[in-house]
Amino acid sequence: NIIPVSHLSSLVSPTISLFLMELEKSAEALQDYGVLVGKVTGALFMMSAPFVVNVSIKVQQMKFAILRDEVKYVHTDADLLTLEKAAKGKKDIVLGHVRSLGTQEHRSLMETAYVYGSKYQFILITGGPVLKQLGVNESSQLSRVWFVHCRVHGTVTTPVTSERCPLTRMRTALSTLSLHTFLQLMEAPLVFPYQLTPQVFLFSHPATEHLDLDTASALAWRLRGLALLLLVHRQSPAVKTPDKYNAAYRLPEKVEFLFNLILDDEVAAEVYRNRGHFLDLDLVTQLTSDNFHSEVAQSSLTVVLFYLKWDAVSMAFLGSFIEVAEKLEGKQMRPATGAVCPGTAVPFQPITEFPSVLLIQPQQAAQRYTGTLTGEALHRFIVIMENDLSVFTEAAKLLTGEVLTGLLRDGLPELTVENLPSFLSLGKALLLLFVGEEEDEIGQRQNQALVDQMRGVRTERYLPCWIHLGRTPAGLSVLGSYLGSLPPLPALVLTHLPSGDEIYQYPPNTPILAGSVLQWLQSVEDGTESPAGMLGGDSWPPAFEFYDFLKVMDMQEGDHRPPEEEGVKTEEVNVEEHLVTKTMPYDRLDMNSKFHSEL
Amino acid sequence: MYQVMEANLLCFILFTLVGLVLTSFNDYLHNGTSHYHYCVLGAGPAGLQMGFFLSKAKRDYVILERNSGPGSFFNKYPRHRKLISINKIHTGRHNAEFNLRHDWNSLLSDKPDLLFKRASGEFYPPADAFPLYLSAFERELGLKVKYGVDVGRIRSVRSATGRSYVLTDQHAADYSCSILLVATGLWVPQEVEFAGSHLAEGYESISTNPDDYKDQAVLILGKGNSAFETAQSILGRASRVHMLSSSTVRLAWQTHYVGDLRAVNNEVLDTYQLKSLDGLAEARLEDIVITKQEERGRKRSGIKNPETRDKLFLNLRQFKQNGDEGKGSDDPRDELLDHIDNFSLRKPYDRVIRCLGFRFNFSIFDSSARPPPSENAKGRLPGVTAWYEGKNTPGLFLLGTASHSRDYRSSAGGFVHGFRYTARAVHRVLEYRHHGNTWPSTRLMTTQLMSWILKRVGEASGPYQMFETLGDVILLRGSHCEYVEEFLLQALPRFSSLSGHDVSSQGLIVLVMQYGKRKIDYLGLGRSQTDWTKAWKSNFLHPVLYYYDLLPTEQDMKTRPHGWPLPRPKAIHHMVEDFLTEWDTPLSHIQPLRRFLEHCVHSDLRAFSTENCFRSALTHRKPPLFCQQGYLTR
Repeated sequence: NIIPVSHLSSLVSPTISLFLMELEKSAEALQDYGVLVGKVTGALFMMSAPFVVNVSIKVQQMKFAILRDEVKYVHTDADLLTLEKAAKGKKDIVLGHVRSLGTQEHRSLMETAYVYGSKYQFILITGGPVLKQLGVNESSQLSRVWFVHCRVHGTVTTPVTSERCPLTRMRTALSTLSLHTFLQLMEAPLVFPYQLTPQVFLFSHPATEHLDLDTASALAWRLRGLALLLLVHRQSPAVKTPDKYNAAYRLPEKVEFLFNLILDDEVAAEVYRNRGHFLDLDLVTQLTSDNFHSEVAQSSLTVVLFYLKWDAVSMAFLGSFIEVAEKLEGKQMRPATGAVCPGTAVPFQPITEFPSVLLIQPQQAAQRYTGTLTGEALHRFIVIMENDLSVFTEAAKLLTGEVLTGLLRDGLPELTVENLPSFLSLGKALLLLFVGEEEDEIGQRQNQALVDQMRGVRTERYLPCWIHLGRTPAGLSVLGSYLGSLPPLPALVLTHLPSGDEIYQYPPNTPILAGSVLQWLQSVEDGTESPAGMLGGDSWPPAFEFYDFLKVMDMQEGDHRPPEEEGVKTEEVNVEEHLVTKTMPYDRLDMNSKFHSEL
Repeated sequence: MYQVMEANLLCFILFTLVGLVLTSFNDYLHNGTSHYHYCVLGAGPAGLQMGFFLSKAKRDYVILERNSGPGSFFNKYPRHRKLISINKIHTGRHNAEFNLRHDWNSLLSDKPDLLFKRASGEFYPPADAFPLYLSAFERELGLKVKYGVDVGRIRSVRSATGRSYVLTDQHAADYSCSILLVATGLWVPQEVEFAGSHLAEGYESISTNPDDYKDQAVLILGKGNSAFETAQSILGRASRVHMLSSSTVRLAWQTHYVGDLRAVNNEVLDTYQLKSLDGLAEARLEDIVITKQEERGRKRSGIKNPETRDKLFLNLRQFKQNGDEGKGSDDPRDELLDHIDNFSLRKPYDRVIRCLGFRFNFSIFDSSARPPPSENAKGRLPGVTAWYEGKNTPGLFLLGTASHSRDYRSSAGGFVHGFRYTARAVHRVLEYRHHGNTWPSTRLMTTQLMSWILKRVGEASGPYQMFETLGDVILLRGSHCEYVEEFLLQALPRFSSLSGHDVSSQGLIVLVMQYGKRKIDYLGLGRSQTDWTKAWKSNFLHPVLYYYDLLPTEQDMKTRPHGWPLPRPKAIHHMVEDFLTEWDTPLSHIQPLRRFLEHCVHSDLRAFSTENCFRSALTHRKPPLFCQQGYLTR
């Protein structure tokens, strides 16, 4: 569970207590560096003190990208080493081990991967050997995260010498919040001021400045993920610590809510990131109550996007919509965006879902576009429409029904991001073949042979289908999530069984032949196969704690009432001191004032 | 001037006599009683507003008006003929709903161009424009108004079919109605009884020609807008203007109450503070005494100069001598001046003008049909339920300014830009109670709820004008919700029986616009919040969401925290005040709101890319709500 950090000031923060424990444990180690530990209270340090390194990082400027590179899976230490080598000099790695898939911890890690995916390489450990290598007792049921420092840090003189990248283990329990915090700490330079984190201060003398910096850097590595280390000139007038101490630490007194500045919604974050890019709205007509009818009458087909400027999905799609408009420029079709006042006579129901795309022909009822909200899907659809406007009223069927039956007639549909909803709506279990991207003609032939074999698997109960990981890379993490690791390709799995959440894997390294697949399906039905994984559940509780205003108000104002009204101040030079001898009649219902008012 | 008036009067009498004969003849032909389901009394802004709703719903109704045209109050008031309800035409926006936030004079209709700006382009429009606008409103919507019907008596009649109201006009013709909607406004001048109160002139009859006040010392009783409007008009002629009432001045820009002193009327504050002979003082008006005294010289000579007026002296009751003139002194205030020789208002006045506003006319109501006087507003208003039905008078509702007791001195229910929305709420109550039509609502997918809330917060005028009084109610139903606009907050415990909507076990959210309640330096630094985590300390108007798992009870409502529009909820969310009143920034407004809504609906409400929906749809029994509603079932 995530505790809203803003409330920690009144509680004993687990982070803080953990830090204290760790610090005490490290006291001995610190002495190795010649460091004595003292505790700093109050505003001893001005943050403007002349720090050796005074890099201020503005968290709000951090860019968060949607996960584009997949989360990778490693089973052996050799796998990890390969990935480390690949990442060296480019990216840091977030290495995770979750005790089981589908847990909150797994979700937290995946969510963080969505946010930080383009920044770090996310890797999930699926096997014991790696854990062993990392010194973790395999029987431990804890989920763990390490930060693997593979990107070279220019300022650091210390140990990125070996073949391996240095590791920092996250010391707190795995949650989205703790992971964000941890990654932010990892992102920070080794030595810098940061008010919201426990801080360790080392006092430096001009004579030993370089030596002190080395010591500080070495210590910073050890404290990484726990605290920030600051090197302070001993001569600074702000330093009030007695001379016998050469180090001090301070705990955060006021911990701010950490997510203030981070958008946790990938679509909103993307739109926010692109907020500087103005969309060229000139390509589309803007419909209003005033011009609606005249504009619609001007072309045989008007495609209208209804959007809200504060709705991230709307704004993300508006970009695609304008791209479609560009492609279709000069054609009969007329792209438009609509904001039609209620009360205007329009040939459609009031719009309550944003974004919505309506296809409007003069004198006809409007048709809602129900395809996937991607530019390609919309474009393809419009082109079909343009070629045969007579099918206009059949548009919805054409979109879903006919396409679906057409694909099903084929025997083995290829699942894509766009058509998955249609197939899932059939409610059948999926017999899902994952094939990799063909690198050459041989590969293509092999894949074709596989698909042909699968066409031979005739079954009513299951929907045989396939995912081409080259065309649909999102399938890769699906497969990883099913099996906990990436199996050799091709891979065949049975999932979405109406009977349960079990996922079965067709034995790897066994040739995929129609006959043996049918046999395997039979043994799954007979219950003689054991599942290779489980589907995640259907419950999606909020990923983040809300900001509990009521609690804050109670804490700060007790009974959360506004302060009593001040007595009415008497006018200094005037008569009323002598005059107002009686108490004014108090009017109970009159909340704001006791007095007469004119209407 | 007088001659013209007399000529007019003659015409009027003649016209009335002819009319009387004709009407009586008509009444004679019919049996004298007309039956309507709805009677609206008064063709002012509130009556016509209700007329529009009744007409649109095709109800059997009539609007009865004693004058010959609509909004006759505005033919006379405000006396100095400038409306102070703002008429901001140039908002730079084309959103009709949003523009109503800054148009305080228009009524609601389904004709987008039937707005007040047609009658005047002035920011503070001339009062004459208002009846013109109302005439156009009545005419273009074809509202059924009977002019010249002066209802003098209203009584309640019980019959087998229930209670009805019978209205009797000046010709003894009866109008019988199941539902009576009283929109008669406030027009009886409010007076205060004190010794010598008969010596004061009233706002309703004073001269509005500034030259009539040349070199005169004027005492104005009252410190509201009519008092200041009067003071402002004579400022350039009167020798001094003093203003007296029990309370200190309340500035609308500080109290956020548009009934308090508006800056447009406050020039006297300047001349007072810059010490230019005008001034403000406080005393209970019940405690003052005004006496008339002829000037000594004239008194002796016995010749009264018609050019000079008698002087009016202000005394205080506690110092008033028995028998007044018994001691032979010329100044009856010896005792007062003995006590306080520098008494502020010690110099005599040429005029005392009473500007104390108006009260509701209770006199036409028979005891069987009379709502009680309100507990607040000095009893000047009728007491009504939270849905504006007169207390003890079922089927009789109050509309318009007379309905202001529910939000007296706190919101805008006493003014056109507020009561146009409460009239709509009353209409909705009636539509459900008498015709079984549940309150209009919009069914939304839960993933669309946040956008819808942001839309309302960004443009809705009803909750914006009627802050803390009207609010949107969102009924949570799992994967979808019902959005009910502009419900009467004080009637929330009766939500289901008034609206016809059930509250499910998923609970409800109420969206309210609120001001902060702290007294601050309203122009000082630090007057506004920008940090969203301190949104609850916002001082200016900002949206607040209340989440309840159960509908609050009447008891909860009664014991709600002081200054709160609603009882303590299960969870609350303040959206931080915004300088531009655009609550749509991703970090400060939207994300915190989403997390609050997620908490209320117990579900992740984030949006995901199609790729991620594809992933979660394949790896989970069900993907997140957004993927279910925005990807799988598009």
